[in-house]
Amino acid sequence: MANRTDPAAKSIRGTNPQNLVEKIVRSKIYQNTYWKEQCFGLTAETLVDKAMELDHIGGTYGGNRKPTPFMCLVMKMLQIQPEKDIVVEFIKNDDYKYVRVLGAFYLRLTGIDSDIYRYLEPLYNDYRKVRRKSPDGNFMLTHVDEVIDELLTRDYSCDIALPRIKKRWTLESLGVLDARKSVLEDDFEEEEEKDEMEQDGLEEEVAHEKDYYRARSPARERERDWRRDSHRHRDRDYDRDRDYDRERGRGRDRERDRDRDRDRDRYRLREEKEYGYERERDREREGRERDRRDRERGRRRSRSRSRSRERKRHGRSSMSPRRHEAEDGNAPEESKKKGKKEKKEKKEKKDDGTDHPDPEIAEANRIRASLGLKPLKL
Amino acid sequence: MIEVVLNDRLGKKVRVKCNDDDTIGDLKKLVAAQTGTRADKIRIQKWYTVYKDHITLKITRSTTEDMGFEYAEVHYSSIYELGRDYG
Repeated sequence: MANRTDPAAKSIRGTNPQNLVEKIVRSKIYQNTYWKEQCFGLTAETLVDKAMELDHIGGTYGGNRKPTPFMCLVMKMLQIQPEKDIVVEFIKNDDYKYVRVLGAFYLRLTGIDSDIYRYLEPLYNDYRKVRRKSPDGNFMLTHVDEVIDELLTRDYSCDIALPRIKKRWTLESLGVLDARKSVLEDDFEEEEEKDEMEQDGLEEEVAHEKDYYRARSPARERERDWRRDSHRHRDRDYDRDRDYDRERGRGRDRERDRDRDRDRDRYRLREEKEYGYERERDREREGRERDRRDRERGRRRSRSRSRSRERKRHGRSSMSPRRHEAEDGNAPEESKKKGKKEKKEKKEKKDDGTDHPDPEIAEANRIRASLGLKPLKL
Repeated sequence: MIEVVLNDRLGKKVRVKCNDDDTIGDLKKLVAAQTGTRADKIRIQKWYTVYKDHITLKITRSTTEDMGFEYAEVHYSSIYELGRDYG
């Protein structure tokens, strides 16, 4: 009995609602003691009590992929299929944040797109801390709004594949949803105006950014207040929101920070041209490498490809004395390479083996260093 | 330094250089870096002996003989068979 869906339950996306959780994870849940002991014969009311006892969220953890109680309760909800009102109550309740997250998760799995956005977006304002069990069994700190962001933007959360939902701007263009209004909008406007004043002195590169964050004319500012009350969105905000939402997630401040950082780096690089062309190249290379490592780590196909990439890099900046080559100890002749030499010496003092002559071993040590492991013992 | 060969019987064969005092967990991270799967989705086993994350490779070497390769059912994204080490 325990594992069969309620016969009165509707099928979701054409299938047994329990099939939303994939087979392997599902079997893990069925074999779990928490499921067998606590989740037997739960109804919607008793489920609330169990949910109130939750103290962490998470997917499967450990070597044998043990599911968390959170997952068991999600499974139970899929099995009994509580009514939408009950789920909305879960979400609306303010006292128990884990009940909220549970309700949000269930809605994300089973609700229709417009409902999902409508009910989950207010939860962006909930900034309470939430404990999350990571796959290796330790606990991590996260927040309710981070979890909601993950639900709305990612395909996968807590070891359950989230069903596809339409993008927000699709629903907006269909007229089903209004444009996204962030509660922090007023704060953003103040920030923007501060930014305007800061950026006035900076160079042209920021010009295109300036257009993006154009200051409001005072007339518009006056209109803002009554417009806000009449629930009409501003055209510019609408476009901006659409763009941001297209970028997935609350990228507004993130994007601004990224742009600001990029500009800052660009200035720094230009300054350092005086100190030495190579230094800039090193920094670029490191930055590029860091980016590459972060982004491409998963996609690195074969060692030869990365080796050839390294060779290319060698070739490109062949003017400078490479730390791998034989002329390591030789004093650089030109004065402009003095800065480079100091930097090189600092690098040689590193003991993580990334300056090993054999490029394969250097590469392996680089990966190990990025993973936090000690270098290879040869 | 040892080099470990891992095979997932579905076409991915991976050679990883590591120390013999690295743990299986570290090996999983290295394999993940090389293949692109997530480290926590990888299960490393020799025949049907599944190795847990805290075991070091030195121990796996000393307690197992070289077994022939057998097919292992894929329960997760990747299960890797530890192959013969080459000094």
